[in-house]
Amino acid sequence: MNNMWTVIRFTFMNKVRTKSFVVSTLIFALIISIGINLPYLIQLFTGDKAGAEDITRIGLVYGQEQLLAEQLETTWSSLPATSYEFVKYETADEAALNKDIENGNIEGYLKFEKQEGNTFPTVVYSSEDEAMSPELQSNLQAALQIAKTRSIVDGLNLSESQIQELNQPVRIDARSIEGASKSGGASDEKEGSSEIINYIVVYALIILFFFTLMGTGNMIASEVTTEKSSRIMEILITSVSPLSQMFGKVIGMFLLGLSQIAAFGVVAVINLMLPHNIDTLKEMNLDLSAIDPMLLVFGLIFYILGYFLYAMLYAAIGSIVSRTEDLGQAIMPITMLSLVAFYIAIFSLSAPNSMLMKVSGYIPFISPTTILVRIGLGDIAVWEILLSLGILVVAILIFGWLAAKIYRTGVLMYGKRPTLKELGKAMKAYKM
Amino acid sequence: MQRLELDNVVKIYADKTAVNRISLQVEEGEIYGLLGANGAGKTTTMRMVLGLIYPDEGTILYNGKPYNKELRRIMGYLPEERGLYPKVKVSEQISYLAQLRGMSVKDADKSLKYWLERFEVPDYYDKKIEELSKGNQQKMGFIAAVVHDPQILILDEAFSGLDPVNVELLKSTVKELRDKGTSILFSTHRMEHVEELCKNITILHSSNTVVKGNLKEIKSKYPREEVVLGTSGDVQGLEAIPGVTEVKRTEDGYSIRISQVDAAQSILNTAMSQSTIHRFEIKEPTLNQIFIKAVGESNE
Repeated sequence: MNNMWTVIRFTFMNKVRTKSFVVSTLIFALIISIGINLPYLIQLFTGDKAGAEDITRIGLVYGQEQLLAEQLETTWSSLPATSYEFVKYETADEAALNKDIENGNIEGYLKFEKQEGNTFPTVVYSSEDEAMSPELQSNLQAALQIAKTRSIVDGLNLSESQIQELNQPVRIDARSIEGASKSGGASDEKEGSSEIINYIVVYALIILFFFTLMGTGNMIASEVTTEKSSRIMEILITSVSPLSQMFGKVIGMFLLGLSQIAAFGVVAVINLMLPHNIDTLKEMNLDLSAIDPMLLVFGLIFYILGYFLYAMLYAAIGSIVSRTEDLGQAIMPITMLSLVAFYIAIFSLSAPNSMLMKVSGYIPFISPTTILVRIGLGDIAVWEILLSLGILVVAILIFGWLAAKIYRTGVLMYGKRPTLKELGKAMKAYKM
Repeated sequence: MQRLELDNVVKIYADKTAVNRISLQVEEGEIYGLLGANGAGKTTTMRMVLGLIYPDEGTILYNGKPYNKELRRIMGYLPEERGLYPKVKVSEQISYLAQLRGMSVKDADKSLKYWLERFEVPDYYDKKIEELSKGNQQKMGFIAAVVHDPQILILDEAFSGLDPVNVELLKSTVKELRDKGTSILFSTHRMEHVEELCKNITILHSSNTVVKGNLKEIKSKYPREEVVLGTSGDVQGLEAIPGVTEVKRTEDGYSIRISQVDAAQSILNTAMSQSTIHRFEIKEPTLNQIFIKAVGESNE
């Protein structure tokens, strides 16, 4: 136990001072700061301008459709504020219109074209760019729909309120139900804004999980291989049992990863506390207090468990490789596994209750990330979380035992990378 | 009671026997030589003593007791391909290794400083291993092995790759440790070091013990086969003496190989009658010759 602390301390102190660790932590902290300030920066550059000055003018040719055009103008002004404004033209004088477009007086113009057999004319928008902006298109569509309805119902002697009723769009509300199977903090009814903030938190947790795991995991593996190739391993295992050595290293790196996460957390909180960011968050309707505290608690628990599961495998793999050059190839399977866990979770953020997510929440190696998505965004019962936790713990015990055995055997095997068969044979020769 | 005792120890790897029935005893304050060509089983034997691998048969006793965790504190090991962390400061890693072997930070530091002084390199304290020359790295490895003042010290090819000055330095250090009571198991293929340091030896050849015992007794068992004769003038008729197999002229006399010791007296008589003699020696076989002979014989 005493020796394990010595190993933990040595591992931690040695790594925390390395240039690569300091630099990568700083870079990541910088990215976090930029990410948090990004909405504010975007607003600073674009948001304010759009409000006041940028009103685009569009020509509206009245022509023979005086009534329709007037209708359109009235409806237009009743729509929620748009950045478009009509300029009236009596006749469709193409030369004059084109000249105005060239001069920049108008962006484009609208013209009604009478259609044979149809009561309602086709509307043509002409401008230098072929495409219409989505905002203009949807607003025009809405306004013209109203105008069209009016022109048709005019002859029907409907009252004004009836016409309004007609123009009212149909509303579809989504409401989630408090089911019987759900209980506890993880399955509260989620409202729009808290949904978004939890989405962001889950996203951030998964990325954090992935990057710190990759970083510390690779460090463990390369550290073990370096010790092996520099032959200090032989001295080490005569001084301290391989088990305390391996777990000391894994725990030392864990503390390193944890302190890195803590540093990122502090950076994030400081940035969020800056006055301009508080305002921006308010404008975006994001309420930090809506973050589900259970999500953070479970995030930490699953990070710790997931870390240990992966870290022990990294240590085991590192122990069977004799040369650092061979390491990259050897740890490929674990890297793939962590990538799978990462991508399944990221791609399922919008479908947290899919069958894939339900199943993968119970598969060790993948569950640490996928279960977070379900806790944060989906519906999950407490027993499901506990079951997933239990499976993960059992997996840690099994793989920990296996990894320790591989480690014990691997650290003394030199030469070419052993095959699984050779490894199995050699493992039998060692008592723990 | 012996400090270290191996009794009929056998180690079998998947398809071959690495060590076959080796037995040896090392007393307090003794340097025991373990000799053998490459692949003879020296390193495997040492690893078993260190508890890195377990013998398939036989027992290893330390102070009369089987292997236990406490031993880690009283054993020191300098592996053949000695290794230290290349990018870590000497003070940090040796203190780390000493702490793993149960020393306090303070004692470890004190001991390290003592050894750096002893090797006249106190300024290496703050250097990284990769900044040192190979020979100096080896000295640091030696310090790492002895920093916790072990009772049992295992040196695998301790002097290989060192210049003569440093070999002398390490040799005198090893002797000093021996005189303080440390039991040292020492492997090498440099015979002259063994002759100078070791009381008892074992020669291993392809996993088997071919020669074992007290160095002097071993030497006396091997027949003396060489006579060195220093004369001022020529001596005739040496070849005719019964028992003489070969006569070689050297700078100041003759080197004569004999098949029986009696021949030496006849040689001396013959030479005395013809010339003045300023040197006459019936040479002990060198360990080198014994080694080659022992290994060669078991090959046949």
